[in-house]
Amino acid sequence: MDPYEIEFIGENRIVSIIPNFSYDKIYLICGEFGPFRAGLPMNVPLWLAVMLKQKQKCRIVAPDWMEVDNLENIKEEEKRSRFFTKMPNEHYMVEAKLILGAASEDIPNASEIKTIIKDIWDIRMSKLRTSMDALMKSGGSYGRLDHLTMMEINSVKPLLPAAMDELLRIQMMSKKTTPATLNSSTFSQSGTSQNT
Amino acid sequence: MANNYLSISDILVSNEKVPCRFLHDLPKLGFLDPSCTEEDLKAGTSVEIPLWLAESLSSRRPPLVAVDLPKVYKETYREIFNADACTVDLHKLAQYFFELGCYVAKYDIKGEVATTLVNTFRQRFKMILSASVSTDSINALQPLSSSERDRTASAMASEKALSTWLKRGDSLLTTANMVANHRKRKRAEMEML
Repeated sequence: MDPYEIEFIGENRIVSIIPNFSYDKIYLICGEFGPFRAGLPMNVPLWLAVMLKQKQKCRIVAPDWMEVDNLENIKEEEKRSRFFTKMPNEHYMVEAKLILGAASEDIPNASEIKTIIKDIWDIRMSKLRTSMDALMKSGGSYGRLDHLTMMEINSVKPLLPAAMDELLRIQMMSKKTTPATLNSSTFSQSGTSQNT
Repeated sequence: MANNYLSISDILVSNEKVPCRFLHDLPKLGFLDPSCTEEDLKAGTSVEIPLWLAESLSSRRPPLVAVDLPKVYKETYREIFNADACTVDLHKLAQYFFELGCYVAKYDIKGEVATTLVNTFRQRFKMILSASVSTDSINALQPLSSSERDRTASAMASEKALSTWLKRGDSLLTTANMVANHRKRKRAEMEML
């Protein structure tokens, strides 16, 4: 799965904006969004917010979790704990990238927030890698991966299940230690029928 | 084995040679042993034959050959793998190490090949992880076996996609794989030609 597909899924989240124009209700496929009144905050999906911002028709309000103190706490929590901590929302990376990319002047302390979120991302990714390695070394049967966001899961998507499948296959095949099983006798039969 | 009959990699794996000892005299089959001078193959000669031949010959009743373990799965190499599996260059030694090991493990009396396979797999997983994020891909891929290389290649591709997404903001719209491979699209292309 591409990161862009996950961005697409993450763009559906609701954020709050302050439009600077007035308009009636709009009826979209995903739902209706209330009458736009200049100066009054309202909730719209993230993709709509970014589009309006790029046309300079609104101001994006920072989501609740995007403040320096909150993020510092989360970072400390992440550093201390061995497992993954609960992130403020499922697509924090997507939201952060889009909002900070399009509307960094609307968010207070945007550059600090960018650094902190990048730090949290790095800590989680390295924790993910070490825990993957520990998983393979120890038992390889199951591992605890709660509170992982979709983006992080996607980064290990091809590798981890394939490796575990291979491990399972090696373990299953090498358990059959009797040389004359049903499989090999049919194998030899089909071999001879091919020759004639 | 049933689901691997048509898989190309499985065909390549079963083409690998394994040493076998013939248990009976076989008249007129002396040509199988390149160092033999007579026409008949004596009992007890040790020949390297491909795995698919060895499997069918050894599973008849009474068995015509007794399969020995190839060099890579014997005692000395097992010690090396148990000590440190990451320093071995599997590409030079045995390209299809894990798959061949699955087949060969059945003939091992002591059953240690299985544990060695699993242990080497686990230890080398770390190598795959580091190879997927490294920039020097050619050197990193060099000592890996064929199946490990596939896994590393897919991990590298997903890492690259992630880092491009993190750097760039937008992307060009590209057709999805599902759409490009759809039969209707291909038919339309062929009609245009």
